[in-house]
Order: sequence, then C-alpha cells, then structure tokens
Amino acid sequence: MPKRIMIVDDANFMRMIVKDTLVPQGFEICGEAANGEEAVKLYQKLKPDLVTMDITMKQKNGLEAAQEILAKDPQARIVMVTALGQEKMLMDSLAIGVKDFVVKPFEAHRIISAVQKALA
Amino acid sequence: MKVNAKYVNPFIEAAMRVVTQIAGIEVRRGHLSYKSKVEPSFGVSIIVGIYGYLVGQVVYSLDTNLATRLVDKLLTGKSPQEKNILFVDTLGEVANMITGNATGLLNQRKDCALKITTPAIATGERLSINLVPKPALVLGLYTQYGPIEISIAVEEQETLDEMAAQDFVLREA
Repeated sequence: MPKRIMIVDDANFMRMIVKDTLVPQGFEICGEAANGEEAVKLYQKLKPDLVTMDITMKQKNGLEAAQEILAKDPQARIVMVTALGQEKMLMDSLAIGVKDFVVKPFEAHRIISAVQKALA
Repeated sequence: MKVNAKYVNPFIEAAMRVVTQIAGIEVRRGHLSYKSKVEPSFGVSIIVGIYGYLVGQVVYSLDTNLATRLVDKLLTGKSPQEKNILFVDTLGEVANMITGNATGLLNQRKDCALKITTPAIATGERLSINLVPKPALVLGLYTQYGPIEISIAVEEQETLDEMAAQDFVLREA
C-alpha cells in the first residue's frame, strides 16, 4: 500500500512541485493544506503517514502547526520544506520533533530521500 | 535610516542561484543605486517583508515579458489557463525562495531567526505602490528575457540595550 503524504504550503505552485516529485516515486498524496490552521485540522482527519510542511504561511505558520500536530500525535512524521534556510529555523524544527529540513528550491532527490528516511 | 550595503550581496547570490536553478535562466549582475523611496520600475512587483533583528521590505520588480517567460518555464506542460491561474502564485513563490535563501545567507546567528512575510503581488504598467517611504538600495539584474530590479529597504532593529545607550530609554511618568 502506498504511503500517504499530506502537503502543506501556501503556494499552489509548490504543492504541485512536491506532488509531481513524490507521486512518480509511488507515494499517494492524500491531502493538501494552504496554511497551518488547515494543516492541523486536516491531519486529524486524514492521519497521513507523513507531512511536508512549509514555514511561512498566514493563519498559523508551519512551525506552530508542526508543534501542534506533534503535541497531539508524537509519532507524526513531518518534514519541513521551506525557503528559510537558517540554522536557527533548522534547530527549532528539530527541537520540536520534525524529522528533516529541506530548503527550497530543492533537487528532486533531496526531498525524495528526506521523505524515504523519515518513513523508514 | 541607512541601508547597509552588506545586505545586498545575499540577495544577489540568492536571486542568481534560485532563478538559474528553477528556471534555467542565466542572471547577470547589474549596477547598484540608491533611492530615497521604493518605486518599482517594471510591470510586475512582488513585496516581501522581513522581520527579526532586521526589519523592512524587499521589492522585486520584473519586466512583464520576463515574468511570463519565468512562469512558462516553471509550469512547463501546464495549459495556458493553468499558467494564467498560477501566474501570481508562482511568482510569489519565486520571490519567497529568493528572500528566504537570502536570509539564510544573511543570518549566521544561532540565537535568532529572520522571518519573512508571505509575498504581496501587484501587476500592471504605471504601477504606484504606497509603501512606507524608506530609502532603498536598488540592485539591477539582467536576463535574456528582461531585467529584474530588487529594492532592499531593511535596517537593523535597535535592541533595548542600544536604545538605552543612546538615551532613548522610556522614563516613568
């Protein structure tokens, strides 16, 4: 059975890129959210195997959303996919229990390997 | 307000890296100038706010032809209708990636992060945008499809200690 991925990003364009990268690898995109608030609600409903999460979004940013998801489900697997490639952001993300941190723009192999490792 | 020239290089590097990597469009560095306030020169303008120990705005202004070519390249295989629908969204994400990558180059600090706002986009010729009237360093970049202008209006946020040192301490009434 394919692993179910939920994509969270406020840019439709970026959700499309993540989807087009992961689907040919055999992953199923079970849901998409455009902000952190939607992401938290949709996670509870879909219980995906993994979430790719942007950081800069209106109505709750990705770090806050990841923290909230992990507080309710400590087993949640979240990979941050963000343009904010700062060490502080990386440290903050790992500290709350995020599995990996991918900086945009990314090469396809980078996000595929991050997702595969997080699901292993 | 003074805009420090050291903030410019990360934006040049990030813009060249991002545009080349995602769209395969080569970017050449142009001249640097100073403006007393941000006035976008071209048909598509994208505004991104920066906050943290630096505060301000970065405005990307693109020639309409370049913006169209960029979206065409990024959405290869999509229908003209889809490209039209995703035009603003795609350009906003490009600006987000350039600004985000620039903050990564700018901020080597481990104790605090620089955050950015979601992009705001305005399109149309003879565009007038009312921004906070702050001086900006304006950087010209060139591609085979047209120019990109990046106006950087950011300054360091004074800490309470620095304000105290300058005798700007709020006193009890």
